[in-house]
Amino acid sequence: MERSERTLYVLLATLIVLLFLTGLIIEGPITVLTNVVLLQTKGARLISDFTLYGVGTAMVNAASVGALGLLLAYLTSVSLSGPTVAAIVTMLGFSFFGNTVLNCLPIIGGVWIASRLARKKFGSYSLIALFGTALGPLVTYIMFSINLPYFISIPLGILAGLVAGFLLPASAGAMLQLHQGYNLYNVGFSCGFLGLFASSLLIAAGKMEGLSVEWNEQFSLALFLIIPVFSLMLIASAMILEKPKTSIKGFLAIQKMPGRLPSDFFDTGYTGGTFLNIGLLGLLSWLYLVAVGAPINGPTVGAMFTVIAFGGFGKTLKNTFPVVLGVILSTLVFGKSLTDPGPLLATLFSTTLAPIAGQFGFVAGILAGFLHLVMVEVTGSWHGGLDLYNNGFAGGLTATLFVAILQWYKTNRPEEDFNS
Amino acid sequence: MKRKEILGRLIGEVTNFLLEGNPLRMVVSLHQEDDGAHLSFFDDQKRSDAEIQKINKALHPKQSRPELAEYYGLMAGHDVTWDARLQLIGWQIKQATVSNSDSGLRIDLWLGSDAFNPEQFTINKD
Repeated sequence: MERSERTLYVLLATLIVLLFLTGLIIEGPITVLTNVVLLQTKGARLISDFTLYGVGTAMVNAASVGALGLLLAYLTSVSLSGPTVAAIVTMLGFSFFGNTVLNCLPIIGGVWIASRLARKKFGSYSLIALFGTALGPLVTYIMFSINLPYFISIPLGILAGLVAGFLLPASAGAMLQLHQGYNLYNVGFSCGFLGLFASSLLIAAGKMEGLSVEWNEQFSLALFLIIPVFSLMLIASAMILEKPKTSIKGFLAIQKMPGRLPSDFFDTGYTGGTFLNIGLLGLLSWLYLVAVGAPINGPTVGAMFTVIAFGGFGKTLKNTFPVVLGVILSTLVFGKSLTDPGPLLATLFSTTLAPIAGQFGFVAGILAGFLHLVMVEVTGSWHGGLDLYNNGFAGGLTATLFVAILQWYKTNRPEEDFNS
Repeated sequence: MKRKEILGRLIGEVTNFLLEGNPLRMVVSLHQEDDGAHLSFFDDQKRSDAEIQKINKALHPKQSRPELAEYYGLMAGHDVTWDARLQLIGWQIKQATVSNSDSGLRIDLWLGSDAFNPEQFTINKD
């Protein structure tokens, strides 16, 4: 195991333990345990802020899902690096507003069945299994929210999760071809695609309810401090692992990378620079929320963890900035508030399109971000909030459009034709 | 069919890379056995030592990455509009060598199942 991998294990384990202990201390073990069990029975479609059931509860839930992801990576002998960390930390982040251990397991089971059928080791599909938990609400919504007797709805929810997980490797591969790696949350795109069918089936059966937004606006010091503390831990790791000058040099080198999937920054040799990039992304995301006066709640903490998650796998300060700026401009042009749930989350999650800015430049990044907000505000209803990575779904559509246009332009330049 | 698919992806990505150098001549050679295959690519563009080292690095990942090979590896050879990304195939092959031949660049790739026997092919021993 390499030094950077050992550090990642230590950092993730520390984060999980910190969340677990903080959660227990804030609310007390009995309350937390009761509430975490209660959380498992929630439909958990977008947007269900778990901190409304208790900040400590949400933290312990996130710790348990994070531990599940880390355990899965360890057991499947997949190296802990940029992509795996992206998947685990994203899962952990979304456990503040949607993922629970219960709704993750059937999806993972479905992907495992697909791997057996394809005669591949489960490790080969481990990233799809981890990111695929975005469809977790499909499981719990069917189990607990469609008003069927539990002896029918619970097996039905498990079956739905298994089927969705089984279909994910096929659809994730196909979706990747559409945008050619320019949408970092590709499994979110695939889950949205599958979610369209699941949602349509539920509508046909008369079992789909409208979406609602559960959004906590109460201040919590523990929630407020999670991201800056973890970000500073990452920055400190960068300075300990390598000399500060080397880490800064590595950080600057990473900024030049487009970030198109799959860009594992830990593979570049700039370990300190990668940690610095991740830490700074986390810290700046947090500072942005504080600056605009946004609430630090379950969904926003989840969004910041997702920005952090991809700091070693495609996102840099340079390629995320234009996209974020595009969303901010779009928010202002269309007369929305920067602190409303939709625009606020889109600002952070739009960084899924960072590779467009990284590859095609600043203006393309701004345009992508601008369009992203418009799309993401409607796509949630298409899949009935069953795909937690709604921004991955909207981002996939935007990236596909951009890639199609740019591809057409590039393949039709007369100066590169054969002479006639 | 699976074999055809993976060979097509690898050939697509490497030829995309070679065509970026705008060669006047390019040759692709395939030798298949039951448990593996050997692909050779030749063009007429000699590369500097630094370029050869860069290609070698892309084709030789630091460690086995099945999670990337089986998922992101699907992008290899699919799209020839943008820059080639040789690391996409580095995860999917058993062995690669890169050198300047008499006429230009030569890239050799070996791939196969777990039962792959390198002795049947001409892999450099050094």
